[in-house]
Amino acid sequence: MTQPSLEKGVNILREQIDGPVAAFFSSCVHCGMCAEACLFYTETGDPKYTPIHKLEPMRRLWEREFTFAGRIKKWLGLAPPISDEELEQWQPVVYDSCTLCGRCSMVCPVGNDITYMIRRMREGMAASGNAPQGLIGATTRAVKLGSPMGVKLATLEAQARHVKISTGLDVPFDEEGAEYMVVLSSMEVVNYPEYLEAITRIFHEAGKRWTISTEAFEATNSGIQIGVSDIAAELVGRIVAAAEKLQVKTVITPECGHAYTALRWEGPNLIGRPFLFKVRHILEVLDDLREQGLLQTSGMENDRITFHDPCQLVRRGGVVDPPRNLLNMVSNNFVEMEDHGTMNWCCGAGGGVSANEAADEIRLKAFKRKKAQLESLEVETLVTACANCRIQLEEGIEENEMEIPVVGITEMLAAHLVEHPSSDEGEQP
Amino acid sequence: MTAIKAESRRPADETLGEALRSHGISRRGFLKFCATTASLMALPPAMIPVVASALEKARRPSVIWLSFQECTGCTESLTRSHATTIESLIFDHISLDYHHTLQAASGTAAEAAREAAMRDNHGQYLLIVDGSIPLGNPGYSTIAGVSNLDMLRETAEGAAGIIAIGTCAAYGGLPHAAPNPTGAVSVSEIITDKPIVNVPGCPPIPVVITGVLTHFLTFGTLPELDSIGRPMAFYGQNIHDRCYRRSFYDRGLFAETFDDEGARKGWCLYKLGCKGPVTYNACATTKWNNGTSFPIESGHPCLGCSEPDFWDMGGFYRTLSMPTGHFSTALGYGVAIGAAAGLASALLGRSERDKARSAHEKVSVDDLDKGGSS
Repeated sequence: MTQPSLEKGVNILREQIDGPVAAFFSSCVHCGMCAEACLFYTETGDPKYTPIHKLEPMRRLWEREFTFAGRIKKWLGLAPPISDEELEQWQPVVYDSCTLCGRCSMVCPVGNDITYMIRRMREGMAASGNAPQGLIGATTRAVKLGSPMGVKLATLEAQARHVKISTGLDVPFDEEGAEYMVVLSSMEVVNYPEYLEAITRIFHEAGKRWTISTEAFEATNSGIQIGVSDIAAELVGRIVAAAEKLQVKTVITPECGHAYTALRWEGPNLIGRPFLFKVRHILEVLDDLREQGLLQTSGMENDRITFHDPCQLVRRGGVVDPPRNLLNMVSNNFVEMEDHGTMNWCCGAGGGVSANEAADEIRLKAFKRKKAQLESLEVETLVTACANCRIQLEEGIEENEMEIPVVGITEMLAAHLVEHPSSDEGEQP
Repeated sequence: MTAIKAESRRPADETLGEALRSHGISRRGFLKFCATTASLMALPPAMIPVVASALEKARRPSVIWLSFQECTGCTESLTRSHATTIESLIFDHISLDYHHTLQAASGTAAEAAREAAMRDNHGQYLLIVDGSIPLGNPGYSTIAGVSNLDMLRETAEGAAGIIAIGTCAAYGGLPHAAPNPTGAVSVSEIITDKPIVNVPGCPPIPVVITGVLTHFLTFGTLPELDSIGRPMAFYGQNIHDRCYRRSFYDRGLFAETFDDEGARKGWCLYKLGCKGPVTYNACATTKWNNGTSFPIESGHPCLGCSEPDFWDMGGFYRTLSMPTGHFSTALGYGVAIGAAAGLASALLGRSERDKARSAHEKVSVDDLDKGGSS
């Protein structure tokens, strides 16, 4: 066991200053528009939450070591080096009050991807020992136990038995050559097992062969959230190894935002090669099934519902239309929030914030934005597609004494699924 | 011995009024001239009688006209095209004691006339200069074996004031144009201790020359000048601001070539290189050839001839807003230097990053907690 150190952290920050980061820092025009895009700023009014300001230590390092003027300043003694105290001081703004939601990147007039930089800033923070305790714990459990919440295979198998009892259908484990390999978030295994039941029924009706690997069923990636690529790569590597061993065509990420980002967008870069399989989000797969006529529903929800866009899925991931298409299949009273789609506001708990106890207070403060959105719509049910958003939304709603149930899209679809009685042997064409 | 003029010879003490009347110019015609001159010089109407009476009583001042590196265009402009106008008569009624193009005398007699005028009117005569003065080699331009530089210094010494006629005398003009092989300079670059009025133009408008002389005769002083020594009364306004085609400019209607529809319709010549917007002169108001027209009216863009270095303003037909220097070359160098600096900086940055990458120590979950406690 080694100790984290400032030297190590600063060295890793240096590694992170690639072309885009250097270009972004030098392009910043200090307009402050990112502040208005960040819900931690809008809900507190405190300018220290201005997204670009969250990067100040990294910006100083870039200026000091990567720019001409900065080198002169350094030489003249005008640019002091980064200190451990400084990084420690920055911990609350880099971790507690940033969900990596990406809204700031959308409004930047010069096109700086600020979120990309904060993700990289966290690499240096973590290696210098300045990550929050909550995230260190979650990451340690993810690596050592296989799940940030400490969920083990036995728990999942128990949930599979419940599914068998209530539906009569088997949850297939380790089936080689299946079309889909499903990975799950711990939250779904423990808090929202209805997801597992829903996909079991839907895939059965669609006649798709699917499986879960007993070696890698956890989809979430604490390495991404805490900002340690070495760990993130190890966690991605487990899924890749399992999927390639079972020779599946597609790995389906669950109703979880950052799991999609981790596997789909960061994954191949982390392990340094392309995957031999496709990565798709469950909503993309369901939307395909809908198009192919393999997902048939009956009946409509009459409740006034709206959809909370999970940031990593919609804004950062580009899955914008599938949730709308799917909701319109089963609802005739679906209304959109203001700023819906790629500019929707974050729930306030993404990017590791929910695993970080130090952020408990501010994340509930940040929820006020979502509360205002919900109140202006006067909806009866809130639908989302991320277990992490869902738990934050439920907590926020309860805290504010509102009465709006939160449901996942997949389970809502399953509730309307047309099931054929001859379901034991015969598969659908 | 005495002043020898091209045509007439008159006693030096005859007043201007007497001279005009003996030439058949009526009092009415004379006052009309005074009114025109006064308005040209932007004097109030109350000044017209003052101008008239001053001119009537004015003694003919002695004038010495020196021509250096010039083309005689200034003299041509002044004498021929307005030969029969009242302006030219004014010239008959100053005592033009030396002008080597116009005077009948030549050789020693001519130079003797100049010396006599200088001696008799020391401190009172007006010196008019056209043409630039070469500083390169005195032999480039001489008169009677005397270099232009020496003659200018010698003649300027006893002058009451100097009028530099034409752009060459005023700012160096064509001889001064790059690469300036003779080292030509303007009068004001040599003489610094005398009042100098620049009357630039290639050539200048005749009435501007006579106007300046009239001002001198009326008030005994030289007129108010702008920052580059030109009389405000004639050079205070911009050609573009007074141009009759200005309305087309304002509406964005431009002739693109000399034979297109716009050219035929008399649209603005800006895109054909008109220097009107940066040129100060009276052409657009007083016009040329006895008030007939000025170049833009004939369909040709203004060359900017009353401005310093108009030969070197990047081409007569080049639109003003276009860069005048070797822009593409400069830009090329600029881009190359910028790219090299950027590349160097990027490589330096990349080497920093690569050094950091090779120094990377793998981070495991055991390396995250600096407190050591869970």
